[in-house]
Amino acid sequence: MGTRGGRLALTALAVLLGFLVVVQIRAQGGGSDLENRTAQELTLVVANLNTRNDQLRAEVALLQQEVAGHEAAQARGGSSAGQIRADLERLRAWLGVSGVSGPGVRITLRGPIPGTAIGDLLNELRNAGAEALSVGGVRVVPGTVVAGEPGALSVENTLLDPVLVIAAVGSPATLTGTLTRAGGIVAQLEATYPDISVEVTPVDRLVLPPTERALTPQSARPKL
Amino acid sequence: MTAGRRRSVPVSSWQVTGFVALLVLGFLVAAQLASQTPRVRYTTQERQPLVETALGLQAQQEALKDQIEALRTEIAALERGAEGSDALVRRLNAEVEAARIAAGLTALTGPGIVLQLEDSPDVAAPDTLAADSLVTGEDLRTVVEELWLAGAEAISINEERVVGPTAVVDIGGSLLVNSAYLAPPYQITAIGPTDLYERLSQSTGFRDFVGVRATRDGIRLSFAEGSDLVVPAYAGSVSLRYAMPDAASPAPGD
Repeated sequence: MGTRGGRLALTALAVLLGFLVVVQIRAQGGGSDLENRTAQELTLVVANLNTRNDQLRAEVALLQQEVAGHEAAQARGGSSAGQIRADLERLRAWLGVSGVSGPGVRITLRGPIPGTAIGDLLNELRNAGAEALSVGGVRVVPGTVVAGEPGALSVENTLLDPVLVIAAVGSPATLTGTLTRAGGIVAQLEATYPDISVEVTPVDRLVLPPTERALTPQSARPKL
Repeated sequence: MTAGRRRSVPVSSWQVTGFVALLVLGFLVAAQLASQTPRVRYTTQERQPLVETALGLQAQQEALKDQIEALRTEIAALERGAEGSDALVRRLNAEVEAARIAAGLTALTGPGIVLQLEDSPDVAAPDTLAADSLVTGEDLRTVVEELWLAGAEAISINEERVVGPTAVVDIGGSLLVNSAYLAPPYQITAIGPTDLYERLSQSTGFRDFVGVRATRDGIRLSFAEGSDLVVPAYAGSVSLRYAMPDAASPAPGD
């Protein structure tokens, strides 16, 4: 190769190298994984982000009211015990350490089904906006898992009945619609486990008990 | 002429440069190929506005979460400031603090493990579905459930705390946790007893999961133990629209 040809080859190589370095840095620098999604996925992601952001805005408004309540109580020179008590009551109901009542759905499952399938059903209920859940009369809180093989399910060390009743407090119409839509979780469960039957009933008033699970961490401590 | 005699060949500088450049080129081509995940990469123009909208909404979400955390901190300070000599307020504050910790509204630290799940780097085998080589919501739910059963006290997936109403949802190849979009790889952080990993690895359910999803399907699963792991606070809504505290339950402070 002559000097002129060599220089040309080197120039071409340098251009190619530069291009590849940029491509590689951009690929590893992450940008956003969203770039890899289809238009349909992106539409759903956007819808979910919008819903979540609306909920967060509502929470911000509620917390700002709480701040104003505390400040008003302190300006009056009184105690804000009432405000704190209301905050605590709301938090305990949300967490599951106090009993709650409200409208929702009752799901009756008959037939052999594994614990993981109940986990899928609970996940779908949460995604549909269920505010409180119980399985076989046991309140579901963080850490509650329905475990076991078909016919031998248990939750929080309680053996579950062969006819399993799940109660979910939330919008009866939304919960029923989500569960029973074509291709929804009920259809999927019935297709996967042909020996089961699932009945979804909207209910005006359900009463869910508080959890008996200890929720105070032993190993974890607040990060200061 | 003897067999040991060598003929010296002059090597010009451009040859050396060219050789080095080719080496780097080879490395970059290999790195580029390796960085292509099995998830399909699309480059069409019409999706760009959607990507930008999603990125904008994600940025808004982060700002809202920061605002919520700041307001919760402010409320906690106001509550403490209201204590004075009021024993009832002090007792209520202690109960609120405990409920916030139990509910996941406080960042926690402690011993535990981090499990990382990544899509399989290999193209799916001919007799398996391509989707089997991708991490799914069900994978994350299985690992989270196994961690709870092993004694975990607090869990997060990437930066999202797993709390009561947390759902892990698949949308095509995307995963949403607490309605927040999570990009792979997925890191599940769990704080719990110091033997959390031992307990987890002894679970039949977890061993089955590893056998099927890691060994058979090629999902990459790695773990690390730590003594000061951090699980972030849940920065979402704790409002109830349908559920009301039941009158039969004792009221706080009673």
